[in-house]
Amino acid sequence: MPSPPPDWVKALKPSGPQGSELLAAERAQSNINIDKLSELLHTKEALDRQQKLLTLLEPEKVFDKSQNHTLGRVERLQRSLAKAKRLQQLAEQNKWSMEELHAANELIGEPTPYGLHASMFLVTLREQGSPEQHKVFLQRAEKYEIIGCYAQTELGHGSNVRGLETTATWNQEDQTFTINSPTLTASKWWIGSLGRTANHAVVMAQLFIGGKNFGPHPFVVQVRDLETHQPLENVYVGDIGPKFGYNTMDNGFLLFNNVKIPHINMLARFSRIEKDTGKYIRPALPSLVYGTLTWVRSNIVLQSGGVLARGVTIATRYAAVRRQFQDRDAEPNAGENQVLNYKMVQVRLLPLLASMYALHFTGRGMMQLYQENQDRMKAAASPGQNSRGPGPEELRAGADLLADLHATSCGLKALASTTAGEGLEVCRRACGGHGYSSYSGIGSYYADYLPTLTWEGDNYMLTQQVARYLLKSARAVLSGKSADNDTSRILKSYLDRRDKGASFDVLEEDKDIVDAFAWRTAHLTFEALKHRDADKRSWNSLLVDFWRLSTAHSQYMVVRNFYESVSSPQLSQALDPETKTLMHALFRLYALHTLEREAAEFFSSGAVTVRQITLTRTTAVMKLLDEIRPHAISLVDAWAIPDWQLDSSLGRSDGKVYEDLFRRASQENPVNDLVFDPYPWNEALLKNQPPKSKL
Amino acid sequence: MPDFTDRLRPSQPDGPTTLARERGQSNVSVNELGQHLLSSDGFLERQTRILPILRREPLFSKEKQQNLSRPDRFKLALARAKLLRRLTDQYKWSHDDYKMAEYLVDDVSPYFLHMEMFVTTVREQASKAQRAYWMPLIESWKIIGAYGQTELGHGSNVRGLELEARWDNRTKEFVLHSPTLTASKWWNGSLGRIANHSIVVAQLLLPKAGSPGQYLSQGPHQFIVQVRDMKTHQPLDGVVIGDIGPKYGYATMDNAYMLFDNFRIPHSAMLSRYSSVNPDTGVYTKPERPALVYGSLTYVRANIVHHARLVLARAVTIAVRYTAIRRQFQDRDDKNGPEISVLDYPTVQIRIFPLLATTFALHYTGLAMRSVYQSTRQDVEQGDFRSLAHMHSMSSGLKSLCTMLAADGIETCRRALGGHGFGGGSGLIQLNNDYLSKPTVEGDNWMITQQVAAYLIKKMAAAVESPSTPGADKTEAGFKEFIQNKQGSETRHSGYDVLGKDQDIVKSFEMRATALAYDVYEQRVLKKLSWTSLLIQLHKLSKAQSQSILVGTFYEALSADSTLSSSNKIILRDLFRLFALYTMENEGYEFFCCNAVSQADLNNLSARVQDLMTRIRPHAVKLVDSWMIPDYLLDSALGRYDGRVYEDLYNRAHRLNPLNRITFNPNYWEEEIVKGSGDNGSGILSKL
Repeated sequence: MPSPPPDWVKALKPSGPQGSELLAAERAQSNINIDKLSELLHTKEALDRQQKLLTLLEPEKVFDKSQNHTLGRVERLQRSLAKAKRLQQLAEQNKWSMEELHAANELIGEPTPYGLHASMFLVTLREQGSPEQHKVFLQRAEKYEIIGCYAQTELGHGSNVRGLETTATWNQEDQTFTINSPTLTASKWWIGSLGRTANHAVVMAQLFIGGKNFGPHPFVVQVRDLETHQPLENVYVGDIGPKFGYNTMDNGFLLFNNVKIPHINMLARFSRIEKDTGKYIRPALPSLVYGTLTWVRSNIVLQSGGVLARGVTIATRYAAVRRQFQDRDAEPNAGENQVLNYKMVQVRLLPLLASMYALHFTGRGMMQLYQENQDRMKAAASPGQNSRGPGPEELRAGADLLADLHATSCGLKALASTTAGEGLEVCRRACGGHGYSSYSGIGSYYADYLPTLTWEGDNYMLTQQVARYLLKSARAVLSGKSADNDTSRILKSYLDRRDKGASFDVLEEDKDIVDAFAWRTAHLTFEALKHRDADKRSWNSLLVDFWRLSTAHSQYMVVRNFYESVSSPQLSQALDPETKTLMHALFRLYALHTLEREAAEFFSSGAVTVRQITLTRTTAVMKLLDEIRPHAISLVDAWAIPDWQLDSSLGRSDGKVYEDLFRRASQENPVNDLVFDPYPWNEALLKNQPPKSKL
Repeated sequence: MPDFTDRLRPSQPDGPTTLARERGQSNVSVNELGQHLLSSDGFLERQTRILPILRREPLFSKEKQQNLSRPDRFKLALARAKLLRRLTDQYKWSHDDYKMAEYLVDDVSPYFLHMEMFVTTVREQASKAQRAYWMPLIESWKIIGAYGQTELGHGSNVRGLELEARWDNRTKEFVLHSPTLTASKWWNGSLGRIANHSIVVAQLLLPKAGSPGQYLSQGPHQFIVQVRDMKTHQPLDGVVIGDIGPKYGYATMDNAYMLFDNFRIPHSAMLSRYSSVNPDTGVYTKPERPALVYGSLTYVRANIVHHARLVLARAVTIAVRYTAIRRQFQDRDDKNGPEISVLDYPTVQIRIFPLLATTFALHYTGLAMRSVYQSTRQDVEQGDFRSLAHMHSMSSGLKSLCTMLAADGIETCRRALGGHGFGGGSGLIQLNNDYLSKPTVEGDNWMITQQVAAYLIKKMAAAVESPSTPGADKTEAGFKEFIQNKQGSETRHSGYDVLGKDQDIVKSFEMRATALAYDVYEQRVLKKLSWTSLLIQLHKLSKAQSQSILVGTFYEALSADSTLSSSNKIILRDLFRLFALYTMENEGYEFFCCNAVSQADLNNLSARVQDLMTRIRPHAVKLVDSWMIPDYLLDSALGRYDGRVYEDLYNRAHRLNPLNRITFNPNYWEEEIVKGSGDNGSGILSKL
C-alpha cells in the first residue's frame, strides 16, 4: 500500500465546525432515550449479542474490509471463502446458535460461498427429507462433510416453477432415477454456492414415471467428487460469472447428461415413490411447504427495515456534517448551512427514516401472525384428524388467517423490498458526489441487496397473487360468505358506507388515516372486480390495475401495522412520552407522505378531498419534517448499526467524514502504488514496478 | 474442450425465431427511421466506418473486463486510451471520429479531461498570449492536463472553495495553498495518476490596500499549473496527488485528490482573458460579465442532455429484445397455451414502453438544446448576452430531468429483465454503474433546479409588471397570457382536449408549468416566504418546465418533419402521446389542480395509455432496431441483435469466466483455499 502522506498533509484538519462537533450538537438537541428505543427495536438480548460478536470478529485480519471494493472477482471469491471458513470455525469453537451465525454474517456484511449450504440446503433436507434421509444426508451436511445448495431456477425459467425443464425419470428395472438436461435452457442457473463450492445439490426436476409427468420434485444429487472436488462424470458445473452485485457468492450453472441416482435421493417426506411398485404417493400436506415461502417472505419484510436503516443512517449523518451554501435569506456572514436543513434533502430522507420504522414494525407484526398461524395449523394437522390443510387455491371460506397471511406476505414482500432497494439509491444520491464513492458504503450494499427485488417471487409477478386473493374475498363478501379476517372487514365496511361517503379526518385523527388507506384499497378492489366480472376484461389486460391494487393494499397493511405498533401498550411502557409522540409523528409522516404521492387514487376513490390533499402537501408534511428534524440523528443512532458493519466514511458515528475519506483514498488504495507513463506513443503503461499484488 | 453441453440447444421457440417473427409483424421502416434519427451529423456513417477498425484490436475485446481488480481495470483503460490516440493519428480521425471510437469502446477514458475540460478552458478562458503558449503544447500532447475545481468539502457551491492563490507582490508569484483538509481537490478526473498539468480553481487573494499583511478574496479563479515532473511523473515538491479510490462506477477514471503546500506559480499561470492581476501594482481587473466564466459548464450540461437519448436507447434495446424472447407462465385465460412472451404483459409494457417513447423525446430535445447552445454561443461571441440566462436555465433544468430519466430508466429496464438483469451478461451493469454518476455531477440534480426556478420567478415578475406589453420571448409571452386570463375568470374548467388533440397536450403541459411558476412567484415575491421553505416547490416547478420543453419539442419536431413515411409518422405520434400522457398520469394531481386537465380526462388516462401501448407493441423490436446500436457496444447476451440469448449467456459463464479455472477446497477445517496449492490460507492473509 502507498506510503503515508507528508507531515504537512497529516497536520491538516477539515475546515469549519468539525463533523464530530456537528453530530454532538445534533445529539444534544434531541432528548429521546436512544437506548430504550434501541431495545424496543432489537431487544436487549440481540444488542448484547451484536456487541459480543463485534469484539470477536473485528480484530481478525481475515475479516478486513479495506480491499473489498478494489479486488478482482477471482480474488474476491477466494477471500470470501476464507472468511466463510473462519466463520464456521468460530461457530464451532463458540458453539454459536443459528441466530448468532446469522448475526455474525450480517456484521461481515457480504454473502459467502457457504451461504446456501447453511440456509436452503439444510432447511430443505430438514423439512422435506424422511427420517432415513436425515441420517444419510442431513447429519453429514450439518457437519459440513457434504456441502450443498438448492438448485431450482434454470437458465430459461425462474418464477414459473412448473415450466422447469430438468427431468428425473424413474427406472423401475434398477430402481433409480435418471437426471437429465434435455436443452440448454434446462441448465440450472443462479444457484448460490454451487459454482465452485458445493459437492451436492438439491435439484428440482420434473418427475416422470412411466412416461407420465408428476411435476417438479426435489432430488439430492452429488455433483463433485469429495476427494478431488472435480465435477463427476456427465455433470457439468461452474460459476456463472460476474454480476451487478453478490460477487462474493459463486452462483452456479449445472447440467446433467443422464446421471443415475438411487431411490433414496428423492426427498420423500411429502411425496414419494414406492420402490417396488413404482407407484407415486401424493403429498400429504402441501400447505406446510407453502408455509416456508410465507416465512421467507415475511422475513424479507422484517429485514427490509434494517436494510433501509443502513442507507438512512449514512445519508442522515453525512447530511448533518456536510454543509453547502449559505441560506439565501440568512445574514451575509452566516456559515454554510447543514445540508440536512434543506427541505429538499429532508423530503427525501425523513420519509425514508419513517419508512424504516414502518417496515420494521410491519415485519414484526407479520412474523407474529405467522407464528400464531403455524401453531394453529400444527394443532389442526395433528394425527387422528383427517381434515386436510388448505392448499393455495382451495381455501374454505372462513377457514382462517393463512390465505390472508399468504397474500399479505406476497404484497408486502414486493412493497418492502422495493421501498428498501430504491430507498438505498435515494440515500446514495442524497449524499451528492461523495455518494458515488465506494467509501460511502451504500453502492455495493445496494447492489448486493437488489436481487431481493426479484427473488422469492418477482415483485411485479407477486402482485397478481394479492389481487387474486382480494377479488376472491370481494366475491365472498358480496355473496355473504366472507371469511373472518381483516380483509373481509374492510371490504364490508366500505360497502356499508359507500353511499354515505368517507369523510375521514386524515389531518387530525390517526385512526382516520388508517381508515382512509383501507377505503382506497376496498375501492380499488371493487373497481377491479367490476372490470373482471362485469366487464369481462381479460386477466392479462388488468395486470397494471392489479399491481396498483396490490401496492395500495400493502401500503394499507404497513400503515395499519405501524399505527397499531405505535398505539400499543408495549410501546407506551417501553418509551417515555416524548419518544412516543415522536413515533406517532413518524407514523403520520409515513402515511401522509404516501397519501400525497398517491394523491390521485385517494382523491378519485373519495377517501379524501382535494382540499385535504393540498393541506397535506403544503402544511402537514412540512410541519412533520420540522418536528422530526431535530431528532433525525438520534432516530438513526437508535438503530444501533456498528461502524464496522456500516463500513462507510460518510456515515461514521463520530462524524469524521473527511478524515476517513482521505485516509482511505491515500492509504488503502492500491491504484496509488502505480506510477504511470501517461503518453500515448509510449506503449509501456508503468514507470515503476509496483509491489506484487496478485495472488 | 468439447463436452456434452456442446450439442444442447435452447428450448423452442428460440431467440432468432422469435425476433424474426417480431420483425415480420411491423411495417416500421428501420432504415428510414435510423437515418432520420442519426444521419444528420454523420453519426451513422461514422459508426459504420469506425466499428470494424476497433473490432480488429484484441485490446478492445470486452470479454474479460468485468472480472478485473480496480488496478488492472485501470491499466486496461489506459492501454486502450493510448491505442485510441495512436489510431487517431493512423487513420487521421477527426475529433468526432475519435469520440465515436471512445463511445463504442465504452470506457470512460483516463484522457477525457485532457481532451475536454482542460483544452476547452484554456481555449475559452486564457488570454491571447496564454493561448499562443499553451495550445500547441496541449494539441501536440506534449503536456497532459486535467481540471481541478471540486474539493473534498465543496462541490456545487463554487464560491465556497477553500484552496487559496495568494498574490506575492514581491516575487510576482501566486502561492497555492490548501489551508484545511477539506480544501483538498477531490473527484477531479484524469488527475489521480495521469495528468502532469491541471487547471486549478482557487480563491484569488490580493493584498488589501492600506492594510499590510491582509488579503481580500476576489472569488474563485482559474490557474494553469504543472503538478507532476515531466520525467519521473512524480508530483512536484509541495504537491500531493493521488487517486481517490474505488467508486460505484468509473473504474477506468483516475479521479483525484490534490493538495498544495505554499506552492509557487508564476503570474502567467492565472488564466486572464476576462479578469487579470496587474503584475506591477497587484491591482485586479474584474470580468465584464461573471457568467462567462462558467460557459464551459453549460457546454458540458448541454452535451449530457444530448447524449442521454443514446444511453437510454441502449437500455431499452436490451429490454425490448430480451422480454420479447423470454417466456414466462401461460395466460390465465388460456391455461393450455404456450408460455407467453414477457413483453406481452402490461406490467412489463408499462415499465418499458414509456421509456421507449422517452428515447425519442430525449432525442428531439437533445437536438433543440444543442442548437440553443450554438446560437447563444454565437450571440455571446458577438457581444449579445440576452439569451444567456435562458440557455443557462434550460440546460440546468434539462440536465436534471434528462439524466434522471436516463439513470432511472436504465435501472427500470434492468429490473424488467428479471433475474438475468442482475448478471454480467445483461449489458446493463457497467452502464448503470457509470451513468449513475450523472445525477450528481456537473451540478447536483436537486440543487440546480433552483437556478431554473429563480429564472422563472424573475420572468414572472417581469410579466406581472406589464402584462399587456408583448413578451420578450416565448416564456414571457406565455406568462403574460396566463396573467391576463387569470384576471378574466377564476373558476374555469379545463378547455384542453388532451385525449383528442395533440396540440392541446402541449398546451396543457405549458399551462401546468406556468401555473406552478405563478404559484411560486406569489409565495416568494408577494408572500415573502423563505427560499428554503420553497425548495421542494422550486424543484417541482423546474421539473414541470422541463417536461413541458420535452413534450413541446417532440410535438414540434413531428409537425415540422416532411421526410418520414406515413407509417413511421403514425407510430412516432403514438410514441409522442404515450410519453406525454404517461407523464401526465404520473403527475395527474398537479395537472388537475391548475385546470390543465379535466377530471374526466384524468380518469381516462390510464386506459388511453394502455391502448397506446397495445398499438406500439407490434413495432417494439423494430423501433429499438432503429437506434442502430451495434452488438459490440451493447455487450449484452440478452440484447443481441440475433436473439441468441441463452447460447451467449452460457458461453460467457462456461468459456469466458476465469473463476471456472480454479478448483476450491470447500472444507472449513482446512485453511487451504485453492485445491492443491497447499497455501494454508497464508497466501490470502499475507496480502491483507
